[in-house]
Amino acid sequence: MDPITFSIIRHRLFRVVEEAVITLKHVSGSAITNEGHDLMVSLYRADGSLLMGGVGFLHHLTSASEACKAIIRRFEGDIEEGDIFLLNDPYTAALHTSDIYLVSPIHHEGRLIAWSACFVHVFDIGAMNPGGFAPDAQDIFTEGFSSPGIKVVSRGRLRQDVWDTILNMVRGPEMVALDLRSMIACNNVARERMLALVQKYGVETVDEACRLLIEQSERRLRERLTELPDGRWQSRQYLEAKGETYRVVLTMTKEADRLIFDFTGSSPQSPYSVNCTKWASLGGLFAPLFPLLCYDIVWNEGVIKPITMIAPEGSIVNCTRPAPVSVATVGAIQSVNNAACATIGKLLAASERYAEEATSVWHANHFAIFMFGRNQRGGLSIGILTETFAGAGGARTFADGVDVGGEIPNPISRMANVETIEATFPIRYLFRRRLVDSGGPGLYRGGTGMELAIVPHDAPDGGLHYVISGKGAKFPQSDGLGGGLPGAPNDYVWVHTPAEGADAGRFALALDAMPGEKQPVAWGVYPLMGKDGLYVRWNGGGGIGDPLAREPAAVAKDVVTGAVSTEAAAAVYGVELAGTAVDVAGTERRRTAARRWRLGREAAE
Amino acid sequence: MASPSRTYMVATDVGGTCTDTIVFADGEPVRLGKSLSTPPNFADGVLDSIRDAARSMGMTLEDLLARTKLFVHGSTVVDNTVLTRDGARTGLITTAGFEDTLLVTRGAYGRWSGLSEDRIKHPVRTERAPALVDADRIVGVAERTDYKGAVLLPLEEAEAERAVRALLDKGVEAIAVAFLWSFYNPRNEQMVRDVARRLAPDVYCTLSSDLAPVPGEYERTSTTVINAYAGRITRAYLDSLSRLLVATGYDGPLMVMQGYGGLLPAAEAAERSIGMLECGPAAGVIGSRALGRLLDQPDVIATDMGGTTFKVSVIQNGEIEYAREPMVDRFHYAQPKIEVVSIGAGGGSIVSLEPGSGAPRVGPRSAGSRPGPVCYGLGGTEPTLTDVFMLIGYMDPGTFLGGSMRLDREGAKRAFDEKIARPLGLSTEEAAFGVYRVACAQITDLIHEITVERGLDPRDFTLHAFGGSCGMVAGIFGAELNVKRLVIPYTASVNCAFGLVSADIVHEYSTTRVLPAGTPAEDVNAIYAPMVARALKDLAAEGFAGDRVGLEWSVDLRYMRQVHEVQTPVRAATPLDTAGMERLVGDFEALYERKYGKGSAYREAGIEMTMFRLTARGLMERPRLEPAAPGGSDASAALTGRRPIFVEAAGGFRDADIYDFGRLAPGNVVRGPAVIHTPITTIVVQAGQRGTIDPYRNVIVDFD
Amino acid sequence: MSRRRISQTLTAGDGHVRCGGCDHALAPVNGPWKQAAALSERTVASLPGAGLGTDPTVMLRQFCCPACGALLDTETALPGDPFLDDVVVVRDGTP
Repeated sequence: MDPITFSIIRHRLFRVVEEAVITLKHVSGSAITNEGHDLMVSLYRADGSLLMGGVGFLHHLTSASEACKAIIRRFEGDIEEGDIFLLNDPYTAALHTSDIYLVSPIHHEGRLIAWSACFVHVFDIGAMNPGGFAPDAQDIFTEGFSSPGIKVVSRGRLRQDVWDTILNMVRGPEMVALDLRSMIACNNVARERMLALVQKYGVETVDEACRLLIEQSERRLRERLTELPDGRWQSRQYLEAKGETYRVVLTMTKEADRLIFDFTGSSPQSPYSVNCTKWASLGGLFAPLFPLLCYDIVWNEGVIKPITMIAPEGSIVNCTRPAPVSVATVGAIQSVNNAACATIGKLLAASERYAEEATSVWHANHFAIFMFGRNQRGGLSIGILTETFAGAGGARTFADGVDVGGEIPNPISRMANVETIEATFPIRYLFRRRLVDSGGPGLYRGGTGMELAIVPHDAPDGGLHYVISGKGAKFPQSDGLGGGLPGAPNDYVWVHTPAEGADAGRFALALDAMPGEKQPVAWGVYPLMGKDGLYVRWNGGGGIGDPLAREPAAVAKDVVTGAVSTEAAAAVYGVELAGTAVDVAGTERRRTAARRWRLGREAAE
Repeated sequence: MASPSRTYMVATDVGGTCTDTIVFADGEPVRLGKSLSTPPNFADGVLDSIRDAARSMGMTLEDLLARTKLFVHGSTVVDNTVLTRDGARTGLITTAGFEDTLLVTRGAYGRWSGLSEDRIKHPVRTERAPALVDADRIVGVAERTDYKGAVLLPLEEAEAERAVRALLDKGVEAIAVAFLWSFYNPRNEQMVRDVARRLAPDVYCTLSSDLAPVPGEYERTSTTVINAYAGRITRAYLDSLSRLLVATGYDGPLMVMQGYGGLLPAAEAAERSIGMLECGPAAGVIGSRALGRLLDQPDVIATDMGGTTFKVSVIQNGEIEYAREPMVDRFHYAQPKIEVVSIGAGGGSIVSLEPGSGAPRVGPRSAGSRPGPVCYGLGGTEPTLTDVFMLIGYMDPGTFLGGSMRLDREGAKRAFDEKIARPLGLSTEEAAFGVYRVACAQITDLIHEITVERGLDPRDFTLHAFGGSCGMVAGIFGAELNVKRLVIPYTASVNCAFGLVSADIVHEYSTTRVLPAGTPAEDVNAIYAPMVARALKDLAAEGFAGDRVGLEWSVDLRYMRQVHEVQTPVRAATPLDTAGMERLVGDFEALYERKYGKGSAYREAGIEMTMFRLTARGLMERPRLEPAAPGGSDASAALTGRRPIFVEAAGGFRDADIYDFGRLAPGNVVRGPAVIHTPITTIVVQAGQRGTIDPYRNVIVDFD
Repeated sequence: MSRRRISQTLTAGDGHVRCGGCDHALAPVNGPWKQAAALSERTVASLPGAGLGTDPTVMLRQFCCPACGALLDTETALPGDPFLDDVVVVRDGTP
C-alpha cells in the first residue's frame, strides 16, 4: 500500500476515535466524564481485536476488546447492522459493574467490518453503596446490575423494555439514562465516520491499512524489546482492605522480543471488593505499558501480541465468581498498574538508550470518595471527589516528577475547582494544597501529592455521607526506582469535633489545627455531619536515585517552595540549611555521616 | 501643520514575524504596507510598516500620519512578554490554605493541556510550565467568602498589610490578588488594593474580581497573574507608541484590539493587558466577518496559512465562536477570546518521515523564516512544505516576492529526494504529490474537527483563504469539505490589519449569579441595570451616545447537573419581559442540542442561568469600499504563460495557465487548472474550478 | 574496562554487578546481588512523609554499596517478605 494513503487513513482512524470521545463528553455533560476524563473510546477489527486505542482510562483498551469478542461469541448469527450491545459483567470482560461498555458492530454493505466500543463510569449501577464503588459488597450479586451481554439497540431501534429494566435498577435513573445516551451517540458517530472513511478509500484499502497498522505496531514493539536488555524484574504491592493486607507480586521477564508478566505469589482473593478479574489484570498491566513502551507506536492488537500474562486463578488478580470486584479499579487493578509501571521502569532504566524513558511509580492510590446527600438547594448530590484524579508524577532519570502531575494510566485527567465543588455540595474546604514531604526522595524527587480538609456548610440535613474505599494509607505504593524512596502514603481522617470549642477549627489551616478526635477511616460509609471534618491527603510519586546525591541547591529550593520540610532536608537528603541557603560544610558532614550509618559504622541520629 | 483633510484610517497589526498596515480613505484604493516585526521594541516596526504604506502612496510617514484621523492597532506584545518570560517580578496574594491553586493547575491539566496528541501519549516527557509567579512569592491571608458571597472571615487591614509588605520585601513590581468567591463579594480583595496603593503606589496591582469576575479559582487566579505579569510592559509599550505617533505628527485617538474582537482606547487597554492576548488572530476573524457581510455570505470558515501554523475559525450567520478554555503559551486564562484553532502546518513546516513507520508527515517542527525552506537558499537543509509547493509547480522560482528573491529549485529537489522521495521509494513528483495530499488531509481533518464535530455542515459555508500559502491548498481542502465556494481576499496577506478597521469599540461586562430559568424577568433586569448604566457611562466618556451605541445581552445557561454552559444571545427586546425570558430558554435549548447533539439535554433536572453578560459597542466609522464596475470575463490579458503543475483530479502534472494578478480585472474568469501569482501569495485554481475576480478584487473560486 | 548500565545505580563489567558510583564489585552477574549489599532498614512510619495511618511494621529496605555507602536500591517490605530479585542477563560480559 502506498505510504501516503496509509498515512492519511491512519490519521483519519485516529480522528474517528477523537470525534467519538468529544461526542461522549458533550452528550454526557457529567463531571466525572468531563473533568476526570474517566472514559474510553476505541475501534476494534471485525474479530474484536484492538485497532485504534484512544486516550482515556487505558486499562479498558484490552477489556473492551474482550467485550467485543464475548459479544461475537454470545450473539453469533444475531449481530445486525445498527445494533448496540451493553456489557458490564467483570467475569466476562468488564473491570467493574459501574464502568459499562457499549459496543457496536460496524457493517458495510451488510458485512461486519469493525466494532466501536466505549465506556463511562455511570452515575449509579444499583450496588449496595451509591456511585458504583461498594465497599460493603460481599459478592458480585450485591454490586448492582451486571450483564454478560444484552442488546440495547436493535437495528437502530432502542429496545424500550431493556432500557426501562436497566434504569429500574439504579439510583438517579435520569442521570444513568444520560450516560447511556452519550455512549449510544458516541458509537453512532464512530460508525458514521468509519463508514465515511470506507466510502472514500474503499473497504479493501481501509482493511489493508488496518492490517498493516497492526503489523507495524507489532514489529516496532518487538524491535524495541529486542533493543532492551533481557532480564527479570520484580515488584510487590501491599494493599489493605478493611484491615486485611494483600500482596500483588509481579515478576516481569523480558526475553528477546517478548515480555511475560507473571503474578504468581500474589495473595488469594479477598472477601472484599478490592479483587479484580483476569481481564482487569490484563488491562491493568497494559495501561502503563502503552504510554511507557509504545509512546510512539499506535496502540492496537500488534502491541498486545508480544505480551503474555500469567495470573493464578483464585488470586486477588484473577478472582473467581462470585467474589466482589466493585473497588477493583482503585484496588487490585491499580496495584497491577503500579507493579507494571515499576518493572517496566526498571527495564528501561537498565538500558543506556532508553534510560530517559524510565519513571518511578506515579499516583499509586486513587481514593474513591463518593459523597451523597441533600445539597444546599434541596436536591440530591452524588459525586466523586475529583481530587482523586490529581495524582503525582513519578521521578524521571533526568528530572523530578511533576508535582500533582496526574497519572500514567489516564494521561489527561484533571480535578474540579474548589468553587465548583462548593457550589455543588453543601461543604466548605478549609484548605487544599500540595502535601509537604509527599514526593519520594531521591536524586530526582517524586512529584508531591496534596492534602485537603472539608466541613459541612449550609447543608439542609446538617451534612452529607460519603462512601470511601481508600487504600494506600497503611503502605506507601508509589515505589521509588534505583535507590529512590517511595512517595508518602495516603491518609483519610474523620475529625470528630466536639460541639464546644468547634469554632477554634472554623478556619483551621492544617490537620493539627482541627480540634477533636482524629480517626483514620478507609473502608465503608461515614458521616460528614454537624461538626465533623474530613481530612484527606494523597501520595506523592516515587523518587529516583540516592537522595544523598541530590543537588543541595535543589533541596534548598524544595524547602523554600514548600515541597520538602527542613527536617526532611536534613534527615533524608542530608542537607543542612542556614536560613534558605545551603550550609555546605554542614551538608558534607551530614552526608558523610549518613553514608557511614548505612554501612553500620555510625549510630542513628 | 494639521491639514484640514484628515481623511485616512490607518491600521497596523504587529505579528510574530511581520507588521502589517492597511490604509483606507473613502474613494481611494486600499493601500497595504509590510515590514518585519522588531521585538522587543515593536513600536519601531509599527512606524516602518506605516512608512511602507505611505511610500506606495507617494507620501512620507509624517505626511500620512498628519492626514490620519484614526489609528487602530493590534500587537503581539503581551503574548511575547509571556512567551519570552519577560514580564514583571510578580507576587500573588490569595486565600490562606489555597496558596498552591496557581501552581497545581487543577492537577495534570496544566501538564497536558496545549500539547499535541503525540506528546500527550508520551507522559514521561511532559512537564508543567513553571508558573509566572515563584512559589515563594505567593502569600496566603486569613479571609473567606462562601459560595453565596457571604463573608465568613473579613480580611483585617493588618493582615493585608503584612502580605503586601512580605511581597514588597521580595522586590515585587506587580501584585495579583485572587481570593475564593471574590467575584460575588470583592470586599476583601479591594482592601488589599487599597493597602497596596497606600504602601506602594508604583506597584501594578490587579484584582481577580475586577478582571475576571467568573467562577473557577484556578483560571481566575491564572488570569490575574498574567495581567499583573504583563501589565507594566503593556502600559509602557502603549505609552511609548502613543508618544512616538504624536512625535511623528499624528493627532488622533489610538485604539487597541482585544482578543474578543473589539477595540479599546489605549488608556483602558493599558490596564487590561490580558485583553490583548491573541488579538491579531481575533482581528483576522473580525476581518473575515466584515468581508462575509460585504459579500452577503455571513457563514464563513476563515483559514489562514502562514509560515508556521494553519489557523481556522468559524463564523456562523455573522456570529463568532468564543474559546472555551483559552490559553497563552501553557497558561489558562478566563477572558472572552475568539476561538482560533491551529495546527503546526505552514509553508515553513518541515517534511519528514516518521521514525519507525516511515510515514510522511508535515510539521509540527518549522524552519521558520531563518533558515527557512531549502529553496530560499538561506541555509535551510530540511525540506519544507514551501519546497514541496515549488516541486509541484505551484510556486514560480522567478516571481517570488515580486521577483525580488530567486528560489533554488535544484537545491530543494536534492534535499527532498535525499530525505523523502528516495527513502519512500518514489519519484520526486510522486513523493511531492503525496506530501501535498498529506498536508491537505491534515488541514481537512482540522476543519472537520471544528465544524462537523460541533454540529456544523461545511456545505453551508464560504471558505476564506488568508495568508501567503493558503491559496495553494484551499482548492483541495475546500473541495473535499464541499464548501459553497472559496474566497481569496484581496487583503489576504494583511488580513489582521483589515480586521482592525472593521472592528468596533467593545466593552464586555458580566455578573455571575446562579438563578433558575423560571426567575421573573424583573430580577434579571435588575442584574443588568447597573451594568447597562456603567456601559453607557463608559461609552459616553469615549464619545459614543445615541445611535452610535449598541448593547447586546447574553446569558449563560445550562442544564442542572450537567457541566456544559452555553452562552445564549438575548434576541428579545430588552429590558426583558416574560415572553423574552421564555424565548431565551427556548433559544438555549436549541443551541444546546445543536452544539452537543440530539438527546444530550437532561431537561428533567431543570435549567439554570449562571452568568449575565453585556456587550456594549461604540460603533466606529467604517471605510467605504467602492466596488469597481465588472468588465468582461476574458482574462487573457493577464496570461503570462503555461507550465506543468500538479493537478489533483489528474493525479499528476498537467499544463496550466499562469496569470499575473496585477493585470487581472474585475469580471475576469480564470478556469482551472491555473495559477495566479500576486506579489505575496500564490493562488492555485484546480481543474474543475473557476476563479472570478470580483469588484473588490477578491478571487472567488467556484466548483463546477 | 567496559562497564554497562544495568540500572539507575548499577553497572555490569568483568563478570560482576558493580556499584555505579565507585565500581565496587558486588556479586557475579546473572544472579542476585542484594545479599552482597549493606542493608540498612528503617520503618516507613519514621520517615518524614509518614501519615497517621501508616503501618508501624512496614520497613523501607535500603541496599547500599558496602564500599562507598551509595544507595543502590530500595524496597518497602513487611518483615519476612523476600528481597525483590532483579536480574539483568549479561552474556559474554555484555547485556
